[in-house]
Amino acid sequence: MSDQTVTRTNDEQQSNSLTDQQPTSHTVDAETDEQLVDSWTDYEFEGEAAITVEDLDVYYGDDHAIDSISMEIPEQSVTALIGPSGCGKSTYLRCLNRMNDRIDSARVDGTVEIDGENIYEGDTDLVELRKKVGMVFQSPNPFPKSIRENVSYGPRKHGDVNVGLLGKLLGGDDSEAERRLVERSLKQAALWDEVSDRLEDNALGLSGGQQQRLCIARCLAVDPDVILMDEPASALDPVATAKIEDLIEQLAEEYTVVVVTHNMQQAARISDQTAVFLTGGQLVEYDDTDKIFENPESDRVEDYVTGKFG
Amino acid sequence: MFDRVALGIVGTAIVTFLLGWTTLFDRTSPDTAVAGLSLFALFGVAFLLAGAGLIAAGIASNVGLFKTTADQYTGLGTGVAFGVVGFATGGLVTTILFGVGATGSALAGLVVALIVTLGIAVLPEDIGTTLPVGLLALVWGVLLAAGFVDVGWVWDPPSLAATFHAPIVVPLVTIALSLLVAWSGAIVAEGFGSQGRQNGAYLMIGLNAFGMIAVLLLLILFVVRKGLPTLLEGAQFGPGLSISVPFLTKGVMLGQQYNGIFPAIVGTVWLVVGAVVLAIPMGIGAAVFLTEYAEQGRFTAVIETATNALWSTPSIVYGLFGYAFLVPRFGNRNSLLAGMMVLGFMLLPLVVITSREAIKSVPDEYRDASAALGVNQWQTIRSVVLPAAMPGVVTGVILGVGRIAGETAPILLVTSGAPFPARAPSILGSFRFTATPPFVQNEALLQASSALPYQLYAVITAGVGQEEAFGWGTALVLLLVVLGFYAIGIASRIYFRRKLHQ
Amino acid sequence: MSTTELHQQVRERFGVETIDDRVVALGAAGALCLLVSAITFLIGSPFTALPFAGFLFTVAYGLYEYQAATAKALSFLATIGTGTILALITFYLLVEALPAIRLMGAEMFTSTSEPMWRTRGEEMYSLVPMMWGTLVTTVLAMLIAGPLGVAGALFISEIAPDAVREVVKPAVETLAGIPSIVYGFIGFTILNDYMMESLELPTSGSLVIVGLVVGLMSLPTVVSVAEDAIASVPESMKSGSLALGTTDWQTIKSITIPASFSGVSAAVLLGVGRAIGETMAATVILGHAQRLPDPLYDVFGNTETLTSLIASQYGVASGTHMSALFAAGVVLFVSVTVLSIGSQYIERRMKHQLQGES
Ligand SMILES: Nc1ncnc2c1ncn2[C@@H]1O[C@H](COP(=O)(O)OP(=O)(O)OP(=O)(O)O)[C@@H](O)[C@H]1O
Ligand SMILES: [Mg+2]
Repeated sequence: MSDQTVTRTNDEQQSNSLTDQQPTSHTVDAETDEQLVDSWTDYEFEGEAAITVEDLDVYYGDDHAIDSISMEIPEQSVTALIGPSGCGKSTYLRCLNRMNDRIDSARVDGTVEIDGENIYEGDTDLVELRKKVGMVFQSPNPFPKSIRENVSYGPRKHGDVNVGLLGKLLGGDDSEAERRLVERSLKQAALWDEVSDRLEDNALGLSGGQQQRLCIARCLAVDPDVILMDEPASALDPVATAKIEDLIEQLAEEYTVVVVTHNMQQAARISDQTAVFLTGGQLVEYDDTDKIFENPESDRVEDYVTGKFG
Repeated sequence: MFDRVALGIVGTAIVTFLLGWTTLFDRTSPDTAVAGLSLFALFGVAFLLAGAGLIAAGIASNVGLFKTTADQYTGLGTGVAFGVVGFATGGLVTTILFGVGATGSALAGLVVALIVTLGIAVLPEDIGTTLPVGLLALVWGVLLAAGFVDVGWVWDPPSLAATFHAPIVVPLVTIALSLLVAWSGAIVAEGFGSQGRQNGAYLMIGLNAFGMIAVLLLLILFVVRKGLPTLLEGAQFGPGLSISVPFLTKGVMLGQQYNGIFPAIVGTVWLVVGAVVLAIPMGIGAAVFLTEYAEQGRFTAVIETATNALWSTPSIVYGLFGYAFLVPRFGNRNSLLAGMMVLGFMLLPLVVITSREAIKSVPDEYRDASAALGVNQWQTIRSVVLPAAMPGVVTGVILGVGRIAGETAPILLVTSGAPFPARAPSILGSFRFTATPPFVQNEALLQASSALPYQLYAVITAGVGQEEAFGWGTALVLLLVVLGFYAIGIASRIYFRRKLHQ
Repeated sequence: MSTTELHQQVRERFGVETIDDRVVALGAAGALCLLVSAITFLIGSPFTALPFAGFLFTVAYGLYEYQAATAKALSFLATIGTGTILALITFYLLVEALPAIRLMGAEMFTSTSEPMWRTRGEEMYSLVPMMWGTLVTTVLAMLIAGPLGVAGALFISEIAPDAVREVVKPAVETLAGIPSIVYGFIGFTILNDYMMESLELPTSGSLVIVGLVVGLMSLPTVVSVAEDAIASVPESMKSGSLALGTTDWQTIKSITIPASFSGVSAAVLLGVGRAIGETMAATVILGHAQRLPDPLYDVFGNTETLTSLIASQYGVASGTHMSALFAAGVVLFVSVTVLSIGSQYIERRMKHQLQGES
């Protein structure tokens, strides 16, 4: 609610000031901008692309939240998405595992290719897609279950571990496998040492930072290829944030990580490449993180990363 | 091909499901013959086809003819569901075939249930979800198609007062089996697995929602169709704007051409007005005290528990209370005033509960802002909290009023008088002031009265007979009044919510 | 206590700025008037109006002169009044039921030897058949309203598209308002005849019809209360599950239903309470036989429920007979109150659990 109102007023102010002052030069600017932007966002990298996005548009009703974005995300690296509030970062992220399908008013145009398949094609299996593309949310959202059940939730639902009465009956009880899986995922998420002696406690009793790492462990247990993180450290204190940052850097050895953040230093510290979104759902510049923070092409991006605007 | 078979099965099952209902309510006759087959034989053929299709699909998936996402095991959840079906089938079949008593059939049912549950749970999913349903459908199909169960079939269980004839039993079994078949077919259609189970569950939940709405709407339509002729009997529209509906404006009198329910309408109106006058100030007052003044602690907890207990107290208990407490104090006879008070007591907890909710949902910032201006607590409540809470309170009150307007039991005990009165109570016209205590008198308030729900009850106790049409008319008016209150209440809530979100 | 201390206290409690002895006096006068009128009303004196008028006058004057203090005092009185009503109901039910309970002792709730209900000659009041009737109809009703109601709630809040939800939800809430006497009338005129004819029932009316009708009747209530509970499960929790690659149905089963379990069971318990207390449908449909069905599970037989017993006999009852009806009321009141308190307890427990406390 408050988010929306804030962004709306921002939009209004901006468009008002633009139209009021120099309506003609603004359109000219925009035209040259467009070509420039294309070159600024054309990021060249070595290796394979995990995700290829082409001409992505998202509308909420009549609101244009993502404006024709194309970008390739390299695999096994950390890609940071930064930009002012309301510019569409979360919306963009949710396009990559089709969580936008949950929002009735949202409409998505364009293609998103993962593993060479367009996930917006008719018969995409959402379940398979989301197994492959995991997501960690802005605020920790553990299930009201025990820590162990939280981690093994995904594998259980996918039938990868059979526990309980039926498993016992058939002699194929997977509790041992489950235990190992839980331990591995919690260790990966750097949470094992803190919770190993209380796996049966309710996850809601953990601290915020622990909960967020539990959510990461929960996501890792499904063994995705891509992990999307929407401001994973925004609700945490510096110590917990540092832990999550370390974790993200480690994860990039195995996984493709896309992370939204408001914290410029954080993006600079952890990411290999950074994409800058600006108001109106536009991708303005996308390049190596060092380049973006030291010597960006676009003036607006420079203003933004140096804190003059946004 | 695979999908089409599955969809065909689901479609067939839905048709037999609907035909089952129409047959149960005599809209289609078992004797209807289509293509030389009676309706029951037709059901039989449909089940034979569906059953064979399900089994074929299950086996085809299991041997890998079609690629599906079937799980390794069917699982205990589905197993238990079939266990329940197995319990019913096993118990009934043993009773019908061998005539064993209740304990015997229950035991047999339990044994069957246990075997079925475990047996199905460990089967591969594509077999476990199709084969049992398919077999049941085949058996039922053979029984019907081959005429083992036909229109003349009867089962007279010795221990029950009822005798079951085919025209009831066959549609009921058909409906139940159709649901099973449709569920299984829906699972097949999505190729088993978690998607298949979702499809099956959604089909059942969707059918349930559809059926629920359909039944309740049919009920209302039924009352409208039965009641409208009575309501409009002798009614005249025009010339111009003059409308006369004697059913709504007349009482019951000998020698009158059209009798009506005017006294009952007036009675209900007064009852509602009295209850509202009593309950609303008191309810809102208590809600204000509990949320704004009192410290949250033992006292508020006790009152809250008491309010909830009052809210769930049955209406007849309120009636008894009124009978024991109020009636003796109002001249030992049934009276409108006692009815008003009892209904007011019933309305009170609802007003307290909804007002508390509404007041609680007023953001604290409002109060702080007001307090920061140096305004005292009461003025804050009066000019900030109450106005902000008003929409919620109003909505709750309207819904509560709808509820008490249809209440019969308490009125029966404390207000009811002559079942078909000729005249309406005239409250406003009967105030009298006297020089001796109690100084103010209102004969009409202390007299028995009729009310819409009571009038309907009176029709029933009078043995219906010729009065039945009168009863349907009353039922229609009562329904309109009560549903009217509800519609207004809900519409106002939607309106206020929209306004809030803009 | 000195007067200044008293003033201090009054000021704190009632939040009035200017305070003098007159406020205290006024409060005392109002309280006295109300007390006297309550007493005169209780003893049934015709003079009730006098002190009550005095009370009204004090209130009017108070509202004019010391609005804040009076408003607070009035709201306090309203709160006390609410509690008092519950106390009065409990008291009067018990007092009126006492003669019958004294006559019958514990047999009233346990005796199963015939005759169980005899109002003339050697009086005999056993509530067992009625308790059984209420139990059977409630169980039947909840077998219908429980699962179907929860499924309906799931449909509305989790499955239906927005457009459908916006129509179905208010429609169901409106249907909750159909008065029970209308259901009773339909059951009496249509279902009773239908069942008698097609099942060759010996008597008009049976427990199974009451169960069906009451189940149908409680359905909308269960749906709308359960729907509120299900809709209050936070979206973030559901998204969390879906993002792990589960289907909507798996999320409903493993996250939404467990998380809203308290609210859903409160909805079902509310339905049970309604079914137990449902009077008119049972009264007009049943054939009023105060004996146990034989065999006990013969739901096609006729017996009586606690509610229908009261509604059908209060008119001809007096003395111990009437008192026995009050005893039936006590049983109803106690069981429904226990249910209500139980469901509040469950709800509170589950709320704590959801918030991670134990
Ligand atoms: N569910 C929704 N319905 C309608 N509009 C939405 C919805 N979610 C987001 N929007 C709009 O889409 C635009 C982009 O929102 P988004 O949440 O993607 O921004 P964001 O960049 O993630 O912002 P923040 O940094 O504050 O999280 C905003 O204008 C917002 O108002
Ligand atoms: Mg965001």
